[in-house]
Parts: sequence; structure tokens; C-alpha cells
Amino acid sequence: MTTTVPAPPRRRGPSPAAWSVTALVVVVHVLAWRGTDMSPAALATGWRGMADFLGDALPPDLDWDTVLGPSLRAAGVTFAIGLLGTSLSVPFALALAVLASRTTTYGPATYQVSRSVLSFLRSVPDVVFALIFVTAVGLGPFAGVLALVLHNIGVMGKLWAEAMEESDPGPRDALRVLGASRVQTVAHAVLPTVFPQLVGLLLYRLDVNVRSSLVLGLVGAGGIGFLINQSIKLFRFDQMATHILVVLVLVVAVDQISDRIRRRLA
Amino acid sequence: MSLHIRGLRKAFDGRTVLDGVDLEVAPGEFVAVLGANGSGKSTALRCVVGLDRPDAGEISVGGTGRAAMVFQRIHLVGRRTALDNVCAGALGRLPLGRSLSPLLFPRTLREEAMACLDRVGLADRAAERAGRLSGGQQQRVAIARALCQQATVVLADEPVSALDPSAAEQVVALLKDLAADGLAVAAVLHQPDLARRHADRVVGLAGGRVAFDAAPATLTDADLTALYAPMTITEPVR
Ligand SMILES: Nc1ncnc2c1ncn2[C@@H]1O[C@H](COP(=O)(O)OP(=O)(O)OP(=O)(O)O)[C@@H](O)[C@H]1O
Ligand SMILES: [Mg+2]
Repeated sequence: MTTTVPAPPRRRGPSPAAWSVTALVVVVHVLAWRGTDMSPAALATGWRGMADFLGDALPPDLDWDTVLGPSLRAAGVTFAIGLLGTSLSVPFALALAVLASRTTTYGPATYQVSRSVLSFLRSVPDVVFALIFVTAVGLGPFAGVLALVLHNIGVMGKLWAEAMEESDPGPRDALRVLGASRVQTVAHAVLPTVFPQLVGLLLYRLDVNVRSSLVLGLVGAGGIGFLINQSIKLFRFDQMATHILVVLVLVVAVDQISDRIRRRLA
Repeated sequence: MSLHIRGLRKAFDGRTVLDGVDLEVAPGEFVAVLGANGSGKSTALRCVVGLDRPDAGEISVGGTGRAAMVFQRIHLVGRRTALDNVCAGALGRLPLGRSLSPLLFPRTLREEAMACLDRVGLADRAAERAGRLSGGQQQRVAIARALCQQATVVLADEPVSALDPSAAEQVVALLKDLAADGLAVAAVLHQPDLARRHADRVVGLAGGRVAFDAAPATLTDADLTALYAPMTITEPVR
């Protein structure tokens, strides 16, 4: 009897599907380039404008009473909007995440409905929510908090639901087998096992929300975004530079602290 | 009879895994289940506790009607204390209001769980996070959780496959002791030697059926060799 070693499969070139996907990606990029008036030439000829701008911005105006003090206080407001926008969304995000996670939901209907609620909240940008709430509660930080809460429920709820779906099914099975109800299984198997991931995602969202809160300030939610907007309108780029420095410190601080907590939990 | 299985059948996607399995475990008895990888041992246990749905057959569990299960991968919540993990064994009989957080567990339950931990020799580690304990200790905590469930039938699916020989010995001896206390215990083992030394009866699964069901003393090496022999794959003749 002769045994022949099977020949290795032949290497094949890219499939027609790969070629058409590549072509499509190129076409879409060409259209996008045209649609956004991309013009490296304008950037090259306009460098003088940027230089003037920087010249005005430097050195930053660090006067405590008129600039730095108010700037720090406003940064506090910006942080507070981001913080409340994150923490007030926790109970709602948690409830929806449990219902929208295949491992913990009550049935296909509940699952679909809660998924849809989450994707709706996620797909409406927080700025749009903010503009809507401004008509109800007026300009100010409160509208910003409400906007962040709604959008964050959508995003964090989805992330949490996914974390729960990816959690180890073992402890869940163990409790199901001994007669625990669905709620008990969530409380004693799912949540404690995914707790570090949930906190990690929460801190990540806090990070993002503090930055979003800055943008909401630009459209009237108060905080340091509002001051930046004002200084631009008054052509006080030296004051704007101070505000931006403060923002930088705030963002880096939040990022560092949340990173440290995450690492401690892991 | 505390555990009674008759004619258990189960197929996955048309492939028969259990083809009429019969098994009886009486109170006070420790039965070891042996079988090659894929012979359906886990499937049989999972059918008993409701993690898999049998296609046919009769299963009855004495006492509460619910068998306790101990897993190879242990499945404790590592972030919770050993005691809280044991308390979770009682979730099935706790009112919802007292069961949503370990902080709400009744005192009597905590005392009972403490007794279960003491039974497996780990009362002194009650306040430690389960994840901090060694594999053998974690498996004993899982057994304590099974005890706290107050089941009269305890199933264990390869409870010692991930443990070192001495921890394995300890855990199997513990299962044997629990049987001596009056529980009906069935454990899937991959160590015929442990089965022979500790079990009251050894059951071999092969081809979806019970190949032998005998006292350890009457078990021959030939029985075991046949049990683990690679399945003869008949190739089509060309
Ligand atoms: N959910 C499932 N879907 C499809 N096939 C499955 C499923 N669970 C088990 N099987 C198949 O059933 C057969 C028996 O599996 P089972 O886990 O019961 O074997 P086992 O005797 O426990 O093996 P081992 O010693 O490796 O644990 C295997 O061929 C396995 O692939
Ligand atoms: Mg198995």
C-alpha cells in the first residue's frame, strides 16, 4: 500500500469580494474628500492666520481675579456636569443592561424592547438632547446634566449588557442549578463577576462625559465651555488659552485617576 | 432510592450521546462514574440538574427533588467571601427580599453556612475571598455550598481533575464521608485509582450506555482497558 501525503491547499489571491470591497472603500473616501472641501493648499497659505492667533493667545492671561479663578470654578462646574451625567444614569443603565443582556433578560420581547431603547438613546447625540432640554429648563448646567444622563444610559447600558453577556456562564449555571431565581442569579453570580468590568466602563464613561460636558458648555450648558465660547467672541485669545490649559489639566487628571482606579480593580 | 435514572437518552444534532443510561444511587452510597472523554458523563449529570434537557427517560431525585452539583471548574464567585458563596446554596429557599445581597442573608443562614464550611474543614477561612483560596479549598467551599442547599443527592462532575493528587485525595475522601453521613453521592472521575479506593460502586459509561456497574473489588483491569480503548473507527474500504 502506498500512502501519499496530501498536497497543501493552493494559496489563493484576493477574492472578487475583497476587490469590490477595496474599490468601494476607495470611492467612498474620494467622495468624502470632496464633500468636506479638503484643501491642503488652503492650510498652507493660511498658516499666517494661525500664527497671528497663537501670537494673541500667548502668553496666556493668568490673572487670578478675572481669568484663572473663574476658569477653575467653571472647570468645577464642567466636571460636576460630567459626574452627575454619569452617576445619575447608573440605575437606569443597570436595569436596561440586565434586560438587554441575553444571559439575564426575561424573554425575547423584553430583550428587543430594551435593546431598542438603548440604541435610541445612544444614537441621539448628547448635544441634541441638550438643545431639547434647554427649551424645557433653560440654558444652564441642569440641561447639560439631563442630556448627558440620557445619552449615557444608552451607551453605558449597551457596554454593560455586553460585559454581562461575555461573563463566565459557570457561576450562573451553578446558581441556576441550585434553584436560584433569575434576579438572584443576577445579584449573586452575574453582577459580582462582572463588577470590575462595569466599574471600568463607568470610569471610561466619566472620562468621556467630562469632555462632552465641555462641548455642551459651548452650546450653553455653562461651565468652562461657556467661558471659552465667550473669550472667542471677545477675541480674548489669551484668556481662551488659559481656559484651554485648565481644561487640559482637568481632562488629564480625570483620565489619570480613573486609570489608576481601574488598574487597582483589575 | 435517592437518585434514580432509567432509560436516559440524549442526542445532540442527531448524534446520540446517551443511549439508554440507567443509574441508581442509594442514600449512603458513593458512586464513581468513569468513562472516556466524550462518553456523555457530563451530559448525564447535566440532564439530572436541568442544564440539559433529556430526550427520553426517567429521572427522579429524592428529598427536595433537586440534586446539588459540584463542577470541575468550581464556579464560585471569586470576589465574594467563602461564607457568602456557601450561603448562596440556600438561594432557592430564601424569600426574595432577604436574598438580594449577602448583607440581607438571615443570621440563621449564616450560622448554617458556617456549619457547612466547618464540615469541609474550612471554617477558619470563612471570611476570605473565595478567589484567594487554593483550588482544593475552593472545591471544598463548593461542596459546602452544595451542603447548604440541603439536597440529599450530590453530583460532582470531575471535581478533582484540576487538583493536585493530595488535594484530589482529600476532596474524594470528603465526598465519601458525606455519603457515609447519608447523602447519595455520584462523582465523575478520571482517576480509576481514586474510584477503586473510595467508591462503593463504580459505573463505566461507554457508547452511551452503562458498560459496567460493579463493586470496586470485582472491577478488573480489562474492564478499565476496554472503557478507555480508542473507539474503532471503521473507514470505508476502497
Ligand atoms: N451542548 C452541546 N451541543 C452539542 N454537543 C454537545 C453538547 N454538550 C455535549 N456535547 C457532545 O456530547 C458528547 C458528550 O459530551 P460530555 O461532555 O457529556 O462528555 P464527557 O463524558 O463529560 O467527556 P469529558 O470526559 O471530556 O468531560 C461529546 O461528543 C460532546 O461534544
Ligand atoms: Mg465532562
